[in-house]
Amino acid sequence: MTTRDLGLVALMAAVIVALGAVPAIPLAAGVPITLQSMGVMLAALILGPRRAAAAVSVVIALVALGLPVLAGGRGGLAVFAGPTAGFLFGWVPAAFVTGFLAMVLEATEKSTLVRTAQLTLAAIVGGIVVLYVCGIPWLAFVVEIGLAKAFMASLPFVPGDLAKAIVAAVVTVKVRQAVAIERK
Amino acid sequence: MIASLARPGSSPLHRLAAAPKLAGLAITATALFFVDDPRLLATAFALGLTVARSTGAHFAEIGRDLAGAAMALAVLGLADWLLVDGATALAVVLRLGAIALLAHAVTMTTTTAELFEVLERLFGPAERLGLIDAGRAALTLTLAIRFVPLIVEEAQAIREAQAARGLDGSVLALAVPLLVRVIVRSEAVADAIDARGFPPERAATAPPRPPAIRPEIEADTP
Repeated sequence: MTTRDLGLVALMAAVIVALGAVPAIPLAAGVPITLQSMGVMLAALILGPRRAAAAVSVVIALVALGLPVLAGGRGGLAVFAGPTAGFLFGWVPAAFVTGFLAMVLEATEKSTLVRTAQLTLAAIVGGIVVLYVCGIPWLAFVVEIGLAKAFMASLPFVPGDLAKAIVAAVVTVKVRQAVAIERK
Repeated sequence: MIASLARPGSSPLHRLAAAPKLAGLAITATALFFVDDPRLLATAFALGLTVARSTGAHFAEIGRDLAGAAMALAVLGLADWLLVDGATALAVVLRLGAIALLAHAVTMTTTTAELFEVLERLFGPAERLGLIDAGRAALTLTLAIRFVPLIVEEAQAIREAQAARGLDGSVLALAVPLLVRVIVRSEAVADAIDARGFPPERAATAPPRPPAIRPEIEADTP
């Protein structure tokens, strides 16, 4: 990676951290919808698979370093043993798959609308499907409720995540019209 | 800057090196997942409370730090109780509570710099295999921490500029110019780092070095 790549990786990691400071919408007593998963989608759609996976790894490293970088000022090692740790570690494959699909799907000559739709699809497959596949089994294991119930417990978050995928795609298309960044 | 969750102090846990604390935490946390006996888990929870208190932090402070985790744990415990049974709920809450307390005790007593050193040491094997460059990885982490206030600054500047023009500004109206500006700034920072020759690139991928100052020019300067 060039130094510019490192700068972009660090920057998108910082964007994910900054999005954690945006007030969360409380849902289902204490489990909030945060904008951080949208940050992961944005990082992936803008940077592409490898640098996005690096950016979310940076955020995870900052958590391990005891910095309160997750939504609601959470951080420190306690997060890694918590019930939602699977969703945190799932950011790495989620970012990689989203970025990879964005790289493969989006062709520059198509209309803005088509490109936005393609990027939304990438964000849904990577940022929702892959992420939940990582998060739900961990939740089921740690809370001992079984896969089916863990799946049901995660469903209320899907509408919010779909909205985040659309916003991330719209923003990405506009940002990439202004600055040329090759996905890698 | 982001303030670390660590607190200064001189408790036994503060004096212990970071690596054994982390290793101990990892082993204890893993082991607790194989324990189902509520009496043992209750003992672990009490131990967690004792260890967290031994750092010099009062229970009120610990409670404040872990309030979010406690609330999530309460919801999970309730869900377990309704969906599975009371015994499972108790075991899950005690186990996760004990791990959260022990982990928080480590976080409270270990500075970011100490954890950073452990992280760099963990990078070691991967570095020898050529998978990662510890110096550049450390630089990336440092940059990320520095970029957070920069993003907040830029967001405020854009908001103010839009307000001055009588715009309310939707999420899109903020997000797009903000991202464009911070991307451009991050590239400028990267170029500045390159210009200073840090961090040293590993062989083969090194960019062409800028030409050295010609000796005759140097000779001209007094």
